[in-house]
Amino acid sequence: MAYLEMIDIVKRYPGVLANDHVELTVERGEIHAVMGENGAGKSTLMSILYGLQTPDEGYIRFKGSTVVLKSPLDAIAHGIGMVHQAFKLFESLTVWENVVYRREPRRGLFIDGARARAQVAELARRHGLPIDPRARVANLAVGVRQRLEILKALYRDAQVLILDEPTAVLTPAEVGTLFTVMKSLAAAGCTILLVTHKLNEVMAVSDRITVLRNGRVAERLVTADTTPDAIVRAMTGQHVTLQRPKQPREPGAPKLEARGLIVEQHGRRVVDDVSLTVCGGEIVGIAGVAGNGQSELIEALMGLTPIERGMVLIEGKDVTHGAVAAHRAAGVSYIAEDRARTASAATASATDNLAMGFHRAPPLARRGLLQPRAMRAWARGLIERFDIKIASTDTPVGTLSGGNLQKVVTARELAHDAAVLIAEQPTRGVDVGAIAFIHGELLKERERGHGILLVSAELSEILALADRILVMYEGRIVAEFARAAADEATLGLYMAGGSR
Amino acid sequence: MTVASGVRARLRRPIAALVPVASALVVGFGVCGLIALWVGLSPSVMFDQLIRGAVEGPQFFETVARAVPLVGMTLAAAIPLRAGIVNLGADGQLALGGCAAAIVALYLPAPDGMRLAMALGAGMFVGAAYAALAAAGEIYAGVPLLLSTWLLTYPAKGLCGYLVRTPLRDPTTAWPSTARIAVGARLGHLLPGTPVNQGFLLIGVVAIAVIFIDRRTSVGFELRLRGLNERFARYGGVALHRQTLGVMVASGAIAGLVGAIMVLGSQFRYTDGALTAPQYSWSGTLAALLAGGEPLGSVIAAVLFAALQTGGFAMERSVEIPRVLTMVLQSIVILFLAMRGAIWKRS
Repeated sequence: MAYLEMIDIVKRYPGVLANDHVELTVERGEIHAVMGENGAGKSTLMSILYGLQTPDEGYIRFKGSTVVLKSPLDAIAHGIGMVHQAFKLFESLTVWENVVYRREPRRGLFIDGARARAQVAELARRHGLPIDPRARVANLAVGVRQRLEILKALYRDAQVLILDEPTAVLTPAEVGTLFTVMKSLAAAGCTILLVTHKLNEVMAVSDRITVLRNGRVAERLVTADTTPDAIVRAMTGQHVTLQRPKQPREPGAPKLEARGLIVEQHGRRVVDDVSLTVCGGEIVGIAGVAGNGQSELIEALMGLTPIERGMVLIEGKDVTHGAVAAHRAAGVSYIAEDRARTASAATASATDNLAMGFHRAPPLARRGLLQPRAMRAWARGLIERFDIKIASTDTPVGTLSGGNLQKVVTARELAHDAAVLIAEQPTRGVDVGAIAFIHGELLKERERGHGILLVSAELSEILALADRILVMYEGRIVAEFARAAADEATLGLYMAGGSR
Repeated sequence: MTVASGVRARLRRPIAALVPVASALVVGFGVCGLIALWVGLSPSVMFDQLIRGAVEGPQFFETVARAVPLVGMTLAAAIPLRAGIVNLGADGQLALGGCAAAIVALYLPAPDGMRLAMALGAGMFVGAAYAALAAAGEIYAGVPLLLSTWLLTYPAKGLCGYLVRTPLRDPTTAWPSTARIAVGARLGHLLPGTPVNQGFLLIGVVAIAVIFIDRRTSVGFELRLRGLNERFARYGGVALHRQTLGVMVASGAIAGLVGAIMVLGSQFRYTDGALTAPQYSWSGTLAALLAGGEPLGSVIAAVLFAALQTGGFAMERSVEIPRVLTMVLQSIVILFLAMRGAIWKRS
């Protein structure tokens, strides 16, 4: 009998069969990767295992008996813990307070702080997770916060640990540390479920792999006996080339320039004296660990956040203190990082979402009057061209999978045919097929002579696409490389604040 | 994606949107019926009197007359609400608009027709300008509109109250008010023998214009999308500040127009507190909320509220059932609609 089994799990959402008779079998002490494209059902499956969702059919067997998990509290009580992609921590509290929260060792009515700190320190030492129990969470680096999340689960006696895309926010060095921790936890008998779409990580750290596709199990693989290509085939049902050749190109005239940009938020310099130039026909990549000022820099470039000092020029036009409308008019389009909250209106139809920005001029509007027929035709055209899977042009985009929503955003922004394209995490959480497609579109933009500024937390993406690479650390640009001169190790060093 | 499925989806949505409204109405009537039973009244008598009182014979025109200002104030609430903005200052804009209209109609040395037109225009202008003040406060000084619109109501009412108590006071009346406006500068009757005046046409034109702008223009598109996701609108290049100003100007102008219509069409003088006493701005805000700011739905809700209110008055007169029950009914309907969101989110 297996250690943990999810048997015949079915979960339906309106119009979607998220899990279609899924079986997941995990042995004690293994690192088991759950892979799949966006919308394949892996998040749903893990939500069910963590008690966030209840299955419509099927059940879970853990250590030989059936368990009913109605909430995460049930899951935790059974020894199942989860580390979410977005950490759930009290930033203003200390490490030990976060760890013992709601399970505080007590002395009478009071929390026994000394004992709690000792317990946390001991737990950290035992599992090789170095952390200062008295540190404030707000002051911790992302990698350390993740360690804290793992500690929280272990403090609650987690025997099964679900890690949801754990490396998305880490530097390469931090990823290495995390893998070491995962392996030692597994060696100590802890079972780890790793939800990810990154092939190299799965190859590096997992023992076995369950691949989901369209809500069903597509393949069960033993890592040692498989190849990345085989996994991609299982995920997509087809063969996808991950890398495409890129022609070298002479950059043209400057399209986007930033000079000495300074942005301050809450009294802190989040963008500190940044200057950069993006020329026509060139892709400039900004590498960096999330949270080092990239988002603020892009917001400043787009007029979404006030600029303290410095200048932004789009095709030579000064737009420093203009609003977004002025930037867009000057010739920039923008694929925003947060497709669900910023780059789309979830409850609005595909027609409305795709019309935004085109709704004032012919053919979609004439003399201020909308042309509904032209709007729908426009939406249909983009849906076809970008192969967006959607029921109709009237369907609210909030119902789409992450990859399809990203295509909606990408389609609209590319349709502007603007001189500058700012692409922020354009493929985050997008399936392999859509990644290849979006990368192809970005390269086409480059061929057209447009300037592209690409921000990505994925080094592989930057290395695959960029002609020039800038590294951001703590609000500054700390290094610049021509593509040929850059490699993952060097970039990783600068991303972590090091230098040569 | 087929044409048929597209058409079906487009038909399904408005119908699906009506289901919760209808069920909230049923629940509201049901609860009021139970309350009536509990205090020993007959629900059938109550509803019979309520409906007759709203639509039977001359009562129908009472409802229409009441619907004119109520629809106006509903639109004044619905336009900002469509963009996710709340204008709580409609009462102040209403009072100032009515007061300005009275002053122009009384003292402007011009031919009658001209005086009437100028009085209406003055009402709209003053209402719009006062609302714009609140918008400017948010844009340039960061004072939240919710707060500024509400607080600016008091100085507006205070100023109008002072004017009719001191410089403009008609000494022949017991209550502080201006002199009576000459017949020539009034809005005439639309249907003789009924309380419906030409203000009906003005508000009708405004309602049609608002519905058209909302559905068919780029301006309406930007308004609607801001209401759905303000971050997205900003990201997409909608000039939010300018839009805020425009929305408040439109809302204030309509509130001011309603004030002018009430003064020029039925009261014929500005009397302290008379415009705000019926609480049209509150009923209007509720009606707009009921329809989520969608203009046609808001207008329908406003007409329904007008019918409930006239019906309530008639019911109180004829069978002595307190009309506060109709307010209970309105409140329950709104509460149920508000609850719907939570219930749906959970399932």
